[in-house]
Amino acid sequence: MVVLELKQVKKTFGSGHMQVEAMKETNFQADRGELIAIIGPSGSGKSTFLTIVGGLLSPTSGDVIINGNNLTELIEKQRSKIRLKEIGFILQASNLVPFLTVANQLKLLDQVKKGNMTKKELEELYEDLGIGDLRTKYPADLSGGERQRVAIAKALYSNPSIILADEPTASLDSDRAYEVMELLKNETKNKNTTTIVVTHDIRLVGYCDKVYNMTDGMLTLQDEKSKVNQ
Amino acid sequence: MFLAWNEIKKNKLRFMLIIGVLMLVSYLVFFLSGLANGLENMNRESVDKWKATSIILTDESDKSMSQSSMTLEDINDIDAKEIAVIGQINAIAGNGDEKTNVSIFGIYKDEFIMPTVTEGEIFSHANEVIASDSLKEEGFKLGDELHLSSSEEVLKIVGFTDHARFNAAPVLYGDLSTFQRVKFGEAAEANKDSINGIVIRTGDQSNLVQNDSLEAIEIETFIRNLPGYTEQNLTLNFMIYFLFGISAVIVAIFLYVLTVQKVSIFGVMKAQGISNRYLSRSVIAQTFILAAIGVAVGFGMALITGAFLPSAVPVAFDLVTMLIYGLVLIVVAIAGAVFSVLTIVRIDPLKAIGG
Repeated sequence: MVVLELKQVKKTFGSGHMQVEAMKETNFQADRGELIAIIGPSGSGKSTFLTIVGGLLSPTSGDVIINGNNLTELIEKQRSKIRLKEIGFILQASNLVPFLTVANQLKLLDQVKKGNMTKKELEELYEDLGIGDLRTKYPADLSGGERQRVAIAKALYSNPSIILADEPTASLDSDRAYEVMELLKNETKNKNTTTIVVTHDIRLVGYCDKVYNMTDGMLTLQDEKSKVNQ
Repeated sequence: MFLAWNEIKKNKLRFMLIIGVLMLVSYLVFFLSGLANGLENMNRESVDKWKATSIILTDESDKSMSQSSMTLEDINDIDAKEIAVIGQINAIAGNGDEKTNVSIFGIYKDEFIMPTVTEGEIFSHANEVIASDSLKEEGFKLGDELHLSSSEEVLKIVGFTDHARFNAAPVLYGDLSTFQRVKFGEAAEANKDSINGIVIRTGDQSNLVQNDSLEAIEIETFIRNLPGYTEQNLTLNFMIYFLFGISAVIVAIFLYVLTVQKVSIFGVMKAQGISNRYLSRSVIAQTFILAAIGVAVGFGMALITGAFLPSAVPVAFDLVTMLIYGLVLIVVAIAGAVFSVLTIVRIDPLKAIGG
């Protein structure tokens, strides 16, 4: 089932001779339960892709469709609601609020959105991610890996259909990075969500179902699962 | 409220500073309001106690009782339900040990401006007076004989009454003839009809006077025209209004700085789909919590300070006024948070997440 679809999406910045084509015309589809990697060097357009998919940046042309909602036809307030309902973000430097404990990071989502995980599901999530003992701690008291695991919990807690992860392992050592990718892979499969990981770390692609390469704004399918796992 | 309260709990010291500043501003506002009220009372409490609607003075007196001079015959030109005549003169009174400014009111004891005696008895003989009980704090007591600066007459305190100050001076209530002896001395008999004004209590304020040389003045107007009264009130009220403005600016600056420090956090939350409305409400709720705590502590401190002040300091807290000022302080603090709300609305989540 297609969750996310990009149709002839293009993004340019500036105008005239200063115009830069950050994302060339792109067609893209993602299904439920897929873990997809977008790899490429810095400045290749990965973040542009992620922010367009996340409804944070409007494309110059084309359509971005999430579960039947065309983001390009919506105003910011409506896109904000789609982000809250459909998308979970995991950002480079984690996306935690410094003055909320781990438990309250998730409770914040209860304040703004219904239909989040049940208490039982939440306990399972804590257990899966190994953060049950951290719930009274603040982000400043956590290690990089713990912060990233809490960020994953936060992204998953609202039962989104898409998880967008921007360099989720950037601040982690190799062991922690693999651990985080393993978690993302498991949660993607268990919760049947779609996870798109933007990274320049090619060691992580082994966990993914599909790998796309972004070079100079051009997105190309590099590998599908069968090849990736070889 | 969730975000607001959790942030306050986590960053106690930072928010204690803001509460501290708001507390000091509100303390000052409450104290000034008490001072303004106390000074107001010093000027008007005896007049308020009459529960009168108007006072008749001569037209040429320019609403000043001491400058008004009329006779008892003028009562015939007045059409009112209740009438009380009054003579008034200022003097320095001394009992041998203490000296103080007083305002002597000459009245008829069977008319409605006769005060209630709280200690002692009413005047019944020549030169007996009922004194304001504020004189007790200055060392005057029942039975004291008062020598006056402008008269050979000697008055005797036979009773005390409360709330009896006029234009900041304690009042001595005596019979009209006592006032006339003080004012005219040996010529008192020749001036036995002389009074300063006629106090009126009536429902219908129109056509009170049928004499062009007399003027009916509403009590509030009469009080506003007491020497220095309006100027003093305006000065203190301006200080209070400026403090309202200052507290709004202080809150605006503090919250703006805090908001700017949290731009990336707000940006991330907006990227996650948390609405401007929720975040703005959180800032408003936070401001409300800070202002409410600051104002409540300031309120309590002002009352405690008032309880320990010497009686010479004319502070009289009016709880209704204080509550209104407290609410105004909270409202202006919230108004000061508007800048922060605008900042939040303008945050681009894309920049916040490094896009």
